[in-house]
Amino acid sequence: MYWMGHVKLNKDDTFIEEFDKVIEREGPFTSWDLFQLTYEAELTTMTSDFDGLRSLDYLPHVDFLPHQIDTAKQVVEHMNGRAILADEVGLGKTIEAGLILKEYMIRGLVKKALIIAPASLVNQWTRELNEKFYIPAIAHRKNYPWQDYDVLVTSMDTAKKNPHCEEIKQINYDFVLVDEAHKLKNHKTQNYQFVRSLKKKYCLLLTATPVQNRLVDIFNLVSILKPGHLGNYDSFIKQYGKSRHKLKQDAYLKQLIQQVMIRNTRKETELSQTKRHIETVWVNFSEDEQSVYDSLVDLTEPFTSFSKVTFLRELCSSREACFLSLQKYAKNEKNSQSYLEPVMNKIEQLPHHVKAQKIVELMEKIGDEKVIIFTEYRATQFYLQWYLQQHNITSVPYRGGFKRGKKDWMRQLFENHAQVLIATEAGGEGINLQFCNHLINYDLPWNPMRLEQRIGRIHRYGQDNDVHIYNIAIRDTVEEHVMNLLYEKIDLFEKVIGDLDDILAELEINDIETEIQSIFSESSSTGEAKIKLDNLTSVIESTHSNHAIGEDQQYGN
Amino acid sequence: MAIKDLKQFLETYFTAHHCTINEKEDGVFTVQLTEELDRALMNRPFYWHYVKKMGRPGQPMELTFITNPEKREQKGEWIHFGSPRLQQIMNHLKNNECFTQLFQKVETTERTALFPWLVLNVKISYKGKQKKDEIISIGLHLVNGTMKLEMMDILRDLPLQNTISNFCYTISPIIKVRSGFYRVEAVLEDYLQNQDQEWADESQKKLDEEVDLLKHFYVDRTDLEDPEDQMKREIDDIKKRYEPTVTMQVINGGIFYLADNTMN
Repeated sequence: MYWMGHVKLNKDDTFIEEFDKVIEREGPFTSWDLFQLTYEAELTTMTSDFDGLRSLDYLPHVDFLPHQIDTAKQVVEHMNGRAILADEVGLGKTIEAGLILKEYMIRGLVKKALIIAPASLVNQWTRELNEKFYIPAIAHRKNYPWQDYDVLVTSMDTAKKNPHCEEIKQINYDFVLVDEAHKLKNHKTQNYQFVRSLKKKYCLLLTATPVQNRLVDIFNLVSILKPGHLGNYDSFIKQYGKSRHKLKQDAYLKQLIQQVMIRNTRKETELSQTKRHIETVWVNFSEDEQSVYDSLVDLTEPFTSFSKVTFLRELCSSREACFLSLQKYAKNEKNSQSYLEPVMNKIEQLPHHVKAQKIVELMEKIGDEKVIIFTEYRATQFYLQWYLQQHNITSVPYRGGFKRGKKDWMRQLFENHAQVLIATEAGGEGINLQFCNHLINYDLPWNPMRLEQRIGRIHRYGQDNDVHIYNIAIRDTVEEHVMNLLYEKIDLFEKVIGDLDDILAELEINDIETEIQSIFSESSSTGEAKIKLDNLTSVIESTHSNHAIGEDQQYGN
Repeated sequence: MAIKDLKQFLETYFTAHHCTINEKEDGVFTVQLTEELDRALMNRPFYWHYVKKMGRPGQPMELTFITNPEKREQKGEWIHFGSPRLQQIMNHLKNNECFTQLFQKVETTERTALFPWLVLNVKISYKGKQKKDEIISIGLHLVNGTMKLEMMDILRDLPLQNTISNFCYTISPIIKVRSGFYRVEAVLEDYLQNQDQEWADESQKKLDEEVDLLKHFYVDRTDLEDPEDQMKREIDDIKKRYEPTVTMQVINGGIFYLADNTMN
């Protein structure tokens, strides 16, 4: 029924219908005590103001940071529940999103919600929503009917497949959230069209890298939330072209984007109060080790130079990693045994790895505190665990491949019992270890984004202390080049790497790790590789300084 | 009078459901549930199914609640305004304690008449860009048509019970309960008409703006399969988000038989 022009009025006859029946059959009637309690309960759960966050009263066990509360308020009060949350890694986008969802649920505005996250994070989302926010979210499992559950968490790959896709499209969602939303930037992809086609009232897109390459990326993201906010496709392209540089020049466009996007940076938030202390720890190979390394370098046999770089990296990590890898290669490639065997024999003779020894030394310096060691290789992980045990240092392993339960258990063992957690790369994503503030990079990833993810495990929301990061590298090896040229030259340890992603995209480098690997493998000498690597970093550096500093930071408020 | 003292609230709730409460120390207490409450709160239908099948009485659980946050590390459930347990209890109340019929307790040896009042507690929700609620407690004298606001506050101080006291008798309503209900509804509608509509106007303005933007977005789109369909769906989304709506919902209500002089 329409009433007062445009205001719709819903009246409720169910009470009187029921009450009539109860009177007719003379009961049952509630006692005065319970009648009053029910009234009190309603007074307690009602929301008496349009503004403000009621959810904070409901979550006394969580300490929210000011920027998280501000973000949630802004999304609810001013953006009307549709926004891109684009905080830098580790500032708590999940927390902000959870707070917003909770607020809408308390106000009775959201009942049906769909969370789309990367497959590896589905369980973590589910657990955080349940434990932190008391939101009864459920991870979607095979054969769950989508309609039957109010808050489901799923992966994009599952959701967009049939029969799920068709089922999901029929549902009227009150709230849809897409984590890692930069994967939606291309409007021609199935992912993009799927999300566009969902029936949704409120919608949050989470990404740490909202603008990567082209300005049209942001046009596409905004068009999911507010089609037309940035005009239509043709007019947008005509006015702004496809380059991202226009963003700097056009204050009006920036302002429009600010209305739908919030980006908090470490610099602006209180997180910057805890600092990163970075120390590079140089070690030298022992004579024996160096000689094995050199003979690997000198191998001119026709195995792909790509694998050669890998062998060298592995030898810098542990005898075991390199040995296993050579062994596998020898098995698969006929004839390679003849020239690999001598090297393998030499490896077998090697004493303990110089880096492992360095770790024990470092541990003595650090004392009783918790330490995370990251390595790229599983063989190294095993070796280190054994080696530390020999020196009475307790440790637990952690890998991405562990099942959820085992991950939680390892995390708990680490928190309560073991001094060291040894994690491989895949384990780097997704766990939060704020109770620890020492991190050793036993070997460095060749992709700075992954390094940032490692550090992000401990230097994030909830960390109360300064964090200490130790990078171990061996002189006169590939490690030295990568350390000097990639990390130290562009000062990547000190800076937060947020911008790097953009820069690489601008240079049209998809994967920096592959880029570096091919530099090494395609160069005929170490000198040549060094020059190429130096060139690469110079380009990155110059692009960086040309970049309006903090450009991205200025979007949000 | 929203819940001020959570412990008091819980005690009343469990006592009214015939549970035994044991205070362990300040801010920590245990509750021995009855079968009825175990079934309502503990979510273990299979247990009760099997126990009954075997003809056993079954053992309702005992719960330990912690109301003092300082002690939340102790064994037991920390219960606070946001905790799922309290939400569950409040929902249990809201779903089950809707209707009542109560009589004022009168100590008398003379015949005393009790007059019928229809009491309704109504939640009004205003939803546009944002949402807020208002709760109105209203009473209607079913004989002479008098209306009173803040009825629950007035009633709070009266002794009320489910049975009628000795020597008392009830006067039959002249206004039927259903017509009384519609009278109250009409008064509330009148109240709504006279309110500030700014929130609704703003929401409507926002709605119109976004629909306009959306239509512009679809001008000359040739790259989409069903631009019409997509646009219609998105207009629906916008409406759901902004459309100004007022909802009236009765929380609970009942007939209260009160002595004549009570309400003066």
